Amino acid sequence: MRVVIAEDLALLREGLVALLRENDIEVVAQVEDGPALLRAIAGHQPDLAIVDVRLPPTFSDEGILAAIEARRRQPELGVLVLSQYVETAYASELIGEDGAGIGYLLKERVGDVKAFLDALHSVACGGTVLDRQVVAELLAPREGAAEALSGLTLREREVLALMAEGRSNTAIAESLVVTPGAVEKHITNIFAKLELPACVDDHRRVLAVLAYVRVAGGARPSAASI
Amino acid sequence: MAERAPLTIEVPLAHAARPRRRWMPVLAAGLSIGEYARSLVRRLAFLVALLLAGIWALDGRGYLWPAWAWLGMGVLVLVDLGAGWAWRRAPGAVRRVACVWTAVGVLATILVCTWLLTWLLAQDRSFWPAWALLGLATAGSAYSLVALHDRVLVAHGRRALRARVDMLTRTRRQAVDAQAAELRRIERDLHDGAQARLVALTLQLGRAELCVHEQPEARTLILEARREAQLAISELRDLARGLVPPLLADRGLVAAVESLAARYGLGTSIEADAPCVLAPALESAAYFVIAEALTNTAKHSEARRSWVRLRNDQRTLTVLVGDDGCGGADPRGSGLAGLRARVEALDGTLSVRSGRGEGTVLEARLPCG
Repeated sequence: MRVVIAEDLALLREGLVALLRENDIEVVAQVEDGPALLRAIAGHQPDLAIVDVRLPPTFSDEGILAAIEARRRQPELGVLVLSQYVETAYASELIGEDGAGIGYLLKERVGDVKAFLDALHSVACGGTVLDRQVVAELLAPREGAAEALSGLTLREREVLALMAEGRSNTAIAESLVVTPGAVEKHITNIFAKLELPACVDDHRRVLAVLAYVRVAGGARPSAASI
Repeated sequence: MAERAPLTIEVPLAHAARPRRRWMPVLAAGLSIGEYARSLVRRLAFLVALLLAGIWALDGRGYLWPAWAWLGMGVLVLVDLGAGWAWRRAPGAVRRVACVWTAVGVLATILVCTWLLTWLLAQDRSFWPAWALLGLATAGSAYSLVALHDRVLVAHGRRALRARVDMLTRTRRQAVDAQAAELRRIERDLHDGAQARLVALTLQLGRAELCVHEQPEARTLILEARREAQLAISELRDLARGLVPPLLADRGLVAAVESLAARYGLGTSIEADAPCVLAPALESAAYFVIAEALTNTAKHSEARRSWVRLRNDQRTLTVLVGDDGCGGADPRGSGLAGLRARVEALDGTLSVRSGRGEGTVLEARLPCG
């Protein structure tokens, strides 16, 4: 797997590069801002870009904008956005119409190396990975979400939340202390209840997560800027 | 064929508009009895003066004796005019001073005219009223000074007070702005400093964990250290969020409010107009007003819908947050009191309308200057 990293803090960037190299992931470029990221992606054609949200020069949301622009130019590119805080608004924007190959995680998740590498591979292969904080916020009991997801049982919602975090069936089974067979049954029920079309299973997982994000956080009110 | 409308020409009647001047005043013309008497006396005095002049002319034009009578009548008219002028002043010290100066003026006129007549009629050339005039002017000035002394002091005090209020308003605004800017700097420093270092630390610990996977004890210790570091990161994150919500710092008020509204899921409609860059202090105050209002709506109101309106006419930012819930919010509650303090520090106002069963509307008006 070939990766580009956009992170302005050298300490983190170097740590990340060392971590990836130890795990046989090739880091083809390290950049510090949005325009450099776009150039590196055009030059190196990587499988995945790891992007910090706050980048120079304004240190606000350049990372998100650069990630969206990179995806617009290369739709098959996997993008994993790292941030010190998560905002459901950013998650909705990143995912847009198609959440395949999108990840959005808190930076400290890099400490759990195995889970982080799983997430990297999942995103590079077209999966969707959302941080459990985003998921928790999206899952908070609210009117709109309650109506749209009312068909799901409590256990099915738990499974859906774990799917949104990019977990595999085995990982979900471990986490909920059930058999992988039971998890598969729940997932089939979720697909049926969300009326997702029959297609490749991985893609349906993405669609399920997307349906969930749109229902829970997608309906954004319209407003002008102030 | 349409019938032509009759043509009328209006001729301005100049003489009709002007009231007819009567030489003798009429009581019915809206004059009070006092005013009527005064104008009657003035006219009679004029007639008497003419009559005396006629008698003097017929009598052979010797010594100009009617001049003394004219002086007496002139002094009466002068007293009348001076009293009228003084009476139109505001009551109090100013009116008293005006009365004194009227008296001084009348006395000075009597002295000067008497001297003028003695000079003209009796060829007395010495200017004898000089000392009397000087005494009158001194007495009038002394009285004015004593009577108006307080007013001068009060006016001076008022000017000083106004200057102080201006200065305090300005410096308070500067302090509030500086505080908001400082909070943003601290948030950024936390983000780039302590938080980033802790993230780097968890990353190293994670790598170390993989290195010692054959030694379960060391591994457990490292895992615990990593969890501690993660707790520290999340505590710092909560702290930073309390200082300045990240979305507010990154994208401004509307984006932050949208995110807030989406989090509460109240189906909040948001309307904002007049794009402009707001000062950090103003933006934070508006954000926390809306956050508190939406929290109250979600917790207590049982509302089905809520709304947020932001209006900015370049001078005032008006924030309106309303819902259709049960109302009855206590305007003296601690949450609202805290908001009021925040808004008033910016010279703004906060009002709450929350009749029982009529929903709640919270309005904050924040001057942009």
